[in-house]
Amino acid sequence: MTHAVPGRPRLGAIARKIGGHLVRGLAMIWVVATISFVIIREIPGNPVLGQYESLIQKGMSPEQAERATAVLYGFLPTGNLWQQYVGYMGSLLHLDLGRSLSTPGVEVTTLIGHAARWTVLPVLAGTLLSFLLGVTMGVYAAIKRSGKLGDALALSGSLLHGVPVYVIGLLLTAVFATLWPIMPSGGPVDVEFVPGFNAGYIGSLVHHAVLPVVTYTLASYGGWILAMKSNVVAVLGDDFILAAELRGLRRGFVFRYLARNAILPLFTILALSVGMLFGGSIFIEEIFNYPGLGLLLVNSISSRDYALMGGTFLVITVGIVVANIAADLLYTVIDPRVRSGGAA
Amino acid sequence: MTAHTAARDMAARDMEAPGVAIRDLTVVYKTPAGELPAVRGVDLTLAPGTITGVVGESGSGKSTLALSLLNAVQPPGRIAAGSVEIDGLGDVLTLRGEDLRRARGRQVGYVFQAAQNSLNPLKTIGKQLLDLGRSHDVEDLRGLVRDAKDLLARMGMDGARVLDSYQHELSGGMRQRVGIMLALVLNAKVVVLDEPTTALDMITQATILRIIREVHEERALTTLVITHDVGAVAEVADSLAVMYGGRVVEHGPVTEVLGDAWHPYTQGLIRAIPRLSGDLSLARALPGRPPTLGTLPKQGCVFRERCERRMEVCETDEPMSVNRDGRTVACHATDRHLTLVKRKEFV
Repeated sequence: MTHAVPGRPRLGAIARKIGGHLVRGLAMIWVVATISFVIIREIPGNPVLGQYESLIQKGMSPEQAERATAVLYGFLPTGNLWQQYVGYMGSLLHLDLGRSLSTPGVEVTTLIGHAARWTVLPVLAGTLLSFLLGVTMGVYAAIKRSGKLGDALALSGSLLHGVPVYVIGLLLTAVFATLWPIMPSGGPVDVEFVPGFNAGYIGSLVHHAVLPVVTYTLASYGGWILAMKSNVVAVLGDDFILAAELRGLRRGFVFRYLARNAILPLFTILALSVGMLFGGSIFIEEIFNYPGLGLLLVNSISSRDYALMGGTFLVITVGIVVANIAADLLYTVIDPRVRSGGAA
Repeated sequence: MTAHTAARDMAARDMEAPGVAIRDLTVVYKTPAGELPAVRGVDLTLAPGTITGVVGESGSGKSTLALSLLNAVQPPGRIAAGSVEIDGLGDVLTLRGEDLRRARGRQVGYVFQAAQNSLNPLKTIGKQLLDLGRSHDVEDLRGLVRDAKDLLARMGMDGARVLDSYQHELSGGMRQRVGIMLALVLNAKVVVLDEPTTALDMITQATILRIIREVHEERALTTLVITHDVGAVAEVADSLAVMYGGRVVEHGPVTEVLGDAWHPYTQGLIRAIPRLSGDLSLARALPGRPPTLGTLPKQGCVFRERCERRMEVCETDEPMSVNRDGRTVACHATDRHLTLVKRKEFV
C-alpha cells in the first residue's frame, strides 16, 4: 500500500495526457484532410483538372491556368500525386483552404468565417437551452415517475424526440410567422439596421434567432429528458442513495449526490453536440434561411464547389476532434474515477 | 469468552446501551396479487448491550426487518402494523420527516452489505463525512474528523489516507470498515448491520466480525446483525433469531439455539452446514424451497411444506410463539414435545 496520495494526477501526468490528446487529434485531422484531398482529386471527372482544362479552353495560357487552379484548390492541377499532396498540406498549414468556385475569388476561410457567425451562437444557445431544460425536466420526470406529471413529461420527451426537426421548424413558422405573425419568417437580421453594436441591430438579431433557437431546443430536448430520466432512475436504485438517506443526510445533499452522478454521462454527449454544431443544422438553416455552416455545406455540395466542401468538412472535423478532447479533459476534472485508475 | 472480555462486557453494558423492542411488526409489499406480508407479527427484543443475530434464507424478511428499525422500508413496501420502541427515542415507526432523518445516523447507525456500494463514487470519504456532520448539525467538524480517524485507526486503517480517498480507491474490506465508521461516528447507540460480511473473503470476514465485536463492546452498543451465514452469527452474536417466511420462528441465546435447536427449521438449517472435519455428506440440504411472497400459505404454519414433523394442526393454525427458559419458539410440534417433557417431570 503506497502512501502517495492516490487519485491526484501530478502535473507531468496532466501534461502527458493533454499532449497525447493533441497528437491523436492532429492525427485525426490529418486523416480527414487526406481523405478530402483524395476525394477532390479522384472523384469522377476530376474537378481540378476540369477547371484547369476549361481555363485553357477559355484562352488562358497553361501556366496561367495552372496558377489560377492552384489558387482555387490549394494545389497544382498537374504533376504527380505526391507533389499535389505536399502542396495541399502546405497550404493547409498556412490555413489556406483555397478559394470558392460558386462565389468566385472569395477565400474559403472567409466564407466559413461568415457562416460560422450565423451558426455558432444560435446552435450553441439551442444546445445549452435544451440541455438545461431537458436535464431539469428529466430529474423531475424521474422523481415523479409514478405520477401523472412525470408520465406527461416523459411522454413529451418521447414525442418531441420522434418528431423530425423540419416538422417542428415548419410548424413553428406556420404558427408564429404566418398564422400569427409575431416572428420573422426567415433570414438572420432585418436589412434596415446598420450592422454594429446598436440596440436596433442586436434586437433584430435576437428576434430572428428566436424561432431557430426554439426549433433547435425542441428538437434536441426530447433526447436530453429521456437520457436524464433513465440516468436518474438508475442512480436512484443505487445503494449509496439509500445509504445516504439511512445516514440521515439532508435532502439537499442526497439530491446533489443523485444529480451529480446522473448528469455525468450526459457531459460526453453535450461536448459532442457542441462539437457537432460546426456542422450547423442543415434543416433549420434551410427552413429559416439562416446563412450558417449547414446551408454553406449544402450549397457547396449542390454547386460542386469542392474546395468549399473540403474546407467545411475540415472545420466540422476540427470541431468534433476539439470537442472530444475537451470532453475527455472535462471528465478528468469531474469524475475522480477517470483521473487515475488505481483501486487499492 | 475470557474473564477479561467478560468483565469489559459487563462494564460496557452498564453504560446506557438502549434496548430495542419490536412488537407485532407487519410489513407488506404491494404486488399485483394484493398486499402480501414480507414480515408478519414479529416480536423481537434486543436486550441493551447485546448483539442479536438474525439468520434466514433469502426472502425470509430479514432485510425488511432491518430497514424497519429505521422506518425505511422502501416502496412498494409499507409497514402495516406494529411498533419499534428504542429507548430514548420512542417508537421509530411514528417518526416522520425531519425527526426521522435526525434519528437516522445519529441514534441508529446502519451498515450496508459490503459488495454493494454505499458510498458516493464522486466524493472523497472525507467530504462525505463532512456532509454527514453538516446534516446532523455537528458544530465541531474538526472533532468529527478526529473521531473518524480514530475509528478508522481502531479498525486498522490509515485514517488520513482513507478520508482523502475515493470509494474506488478502497478494497471491499476497507469500504466495509468505512461503512461501519460512518454508522458509528455520530455515536449512534443502536447499530444495524445488514449482511456485513457477505461477499468478503474469509480473512476479511473474520477481521470485520472481530471489529464489530470489539467496537460493540467498547462503545456499549445494542447491535443487530442480519446474515445468512450461521457461522458468522455463532462467532459474533449473543442471541440468535431465526426467520422463516417473514416470521421469527426461534429466538434465544446463540449457544443454546445452535447447540440444541427447538424449531425443525433451525435444526434443518444447522444440519445443512458442512463441517470442516468429518464427512461432507453429513451436511444435508433442507428439502424444498423457501416460500416467496406469493407462495406463502394463507393459514397454518409457514414451514409445514418442508417440515418432517408436520401434524394436522399445522395445516390450519399458525403456531404461537411460546416463551420458555429465556427462549422463544413458534412450532406446534415443539410445543407438544415440551409440554410432554414437562408432564413427565411432574408425574
